[in-house]
Amino acid sequence: MPTFTPISTRRSAARTAGLLLAALLLVATTPAQAITVDKLVHHIDRLWHGETSHAIMTMTVETQRYQREMQLEAWSLGKDYSLVVIERPIKDRGIATLKVEENIWNYLPKIDRVTKIPSSMMSGSWMGSHFTNDDLVRESYFEDDYASHISFEGERDGRAIYELTAIPRPEAPVVWGRVVLEIDQDTLAPITSRYFDEAGELVRTMRFDQVEQIDERHVPMRLTLQPEDKPTESTVITYQDITFGVPIERSFFSLQNLERRR
Amino acid sequence: MTERLVHGTMLARLPLLAFVAWRNLWRNPVRSGLTISALAGGLVMVILYSALLEGMVDQMIASATERTTGHIQVQRRAFIDDRDLYATLPDDWAATLEAQVDRIHVAPRLYAAGLASSKQTSYGVMIEAVDPARERQVTSVLDHLRAGTAAIDRPSGDARPRHQVLVGAQLAKNMQLAPGSELVLVTQAADGSIGNDLYRVAGILKPLSPDFDRMGVLMSITAYRDLMYLDEGVHELAVRLDQPDELTVTQDRIRQAVDGLVADRPLDELGGPAVVRNWREINPAIADMLALSETMLLIIGLIVIGLAAMGVLNTMLMAIHERTHEFGILLAIGMKRRWLLAMVLCESFFLSLVAVAVGVTGGIGMVAWLGEDGIDFSAALPDGYDWAGMVFDPVIPLHLVAGHVADASLLLIAITLLAALIPSWRITRLKPAEVM
Repeated sequence: MPTFTPISTRRSAARTAGLLLAALLLVATTPAQAITVDKLVHHIDRLWHGETSHAIMTMTVETQRYQREMQLEAWSLGKDYSLVVIERPIKDRGIATLKVEENIWNYLPKIDRVTKIPSSMMSGSWMGSHFTNDDLVRESYFEDDYASHISFEGERDGRAIYELTAIPRPEAPVVWGRVVLEIDQDTLAPITSRYFDEAGELVRTMRFDQVEQIDERHVPMRLTLQPEDKPTESTVITYQDITFGVPIERSFFSLQNLERRR
Repeated sequence: MTERLVHGTMLARLPLLAFVAWRNLWRNPVRSGLTISALAGGLVMVILYSALLEGMVDQMIASATERTTGHIQVQRRAFIDDRDLYATLPDDWAATLEAQVDRIHVAPRLYAAGLASSKQTSYGVMIEAVDPARERQVTSVLDHLRAGTAAIDRPSGDARPRHQVLVGAQLAKNMQLAPGSELVLVTQAADGSIGNDLYRVAGILKPLSPDFDRMGVLMSITAYRDLMYLDEGVHELAVRLDQPDELTVTQDRIRQAVDGLVADRPLDELGGPAVVRNWREINPAIADMLALSETMLLIIGLIVIGLAAMGVLNTMLMAIHERTHEFGILLAIGMKRRWLLAMVLCESFFLSLVAVAVGVTGGIGMVAWLGEDGIDFSAALPDGYDWAGMVFDPVIPLHLVAGHVADASLLLIAITLLAALIPSWRITRLKPAEVM
């Protein structure tokens, strides 16, 4: 898989002190930095997905009014195709969300119907969590929709990090004004991701921890999403298991399959 | 005759002055007739306009209160501000308030946002849930049907019975729904899960408000609780008064009753206090329109009658100009100037009285002829017109208010007398030697 090569090159570079120094020196000159940024963004965009992936995770939603824990099973192919199915609680078992490119459909087993999420509802909550449908559709979009640059490089809170600031391209259909990622220099695993609105206000923060090495990459297994206006609320996604490079066909991500699955 | 005019007190002479004035008026019947027609025509216009305006205002109040809003509503602060799903009032308040406050009917309601879906597309909808039996006591929304029936309290005849819903006309058109169609509703339930169910469309509602028309889905409270997993509480209590003119007093009584209920059993913190609002506070645009209509009527009346009064001014100027010689003689034989002035003013007063008689008769006749049923615009506006977020019938009823007719008549008399003052002023400055 050709897309993996630059990542592993980049990662071995990060591990080797000497090469790291060389990389830092290269960063000082603009063309080299451009490559670094591109590779970094490329790496982040594919961290949880690779070419194909299969994951089992739990999602815990905590709000002022309710607490909810769901067990989810998810498949993905590239960045355009994904399928998430609720396994627990029993009441919602079998509810599936299919994403194909820009479209999202839900399959509702109780009424045996497939419904499409209209574009006007993309900013609505996904499965009652603090994630929006839009997060699902645009989950790997840095490369396409943002112009990124490394805004800080060095030690912060005792860790060597890259701070990546991503500003949406003018034509990109993105709700954020700016996204700032902190990435660990050693593992290239993200530490935090802060989302700012167009007025420059911090809207929500995502924290990444419990990093595990899977195949060639270091993947944070727990994602905590914290909306700024509701400090008591949060959504936590914990991966129990994630496998990359599973054999899935594109036809797996189809409406027919969505209805046939149960 | 002149002898009697010259001597005696003013009061004793008034009948004679009036008599002479009346005779003077008809010395030139064509001119007086034309002036009277102008004044009367203006009055007819003002009366018609007031009847139309009053009819519109009545229709607005009726639409505002009888169809959806009710006279008074009780809601939680957080529901008013954010449509907070969890900002509810206890279920038993509807019955308790009805028992504690005389001559009111209370209907509970629940709301939610959701999606009406099909495989191809989905529409954002506004779900409203009512208790059909109680709702009928408060508003006529359930009778406001374009097609189908209002059977939202009965399950459908399917193998697996479904709840039935009513949908807004525009939503029905967009989603190609007819009575009997299937509708999928998906929403985020109160426990965070995905509320979803299949429904049958029982009927299509006529336009109530542009929003409801485009997005409204009306269901029973039972159906709502099954969909939303919101087991208790209501978002809104809509109140209808038997005596709508007791609005403020009843609002205060309801407020006291609510305070009592809150004192017995405090509401949760997050939803904020319970707020009691009347329809004027809920629809300030309609209330403003009401206040505005009185002012508009006065301004239009002033303009129309003011224009007609120009005719009076002209008539009196001419009449006095023709008779300067005659006035000179009267002054020369000792008639006081103020009596002459009184006589001329008397002439314009009679002119305006005749105009009022003709105008009021004509105005009432026109209103009666057009009918209390109103002016029908349904050819041009089949769905009615919307204003300030509410849809009104295309037929505007005429409503004649006796007070408005009296006001317009008084206005006409006052303006006519004012207009006559200017030419009359010339009499007081006549020099008998010059004009004879």
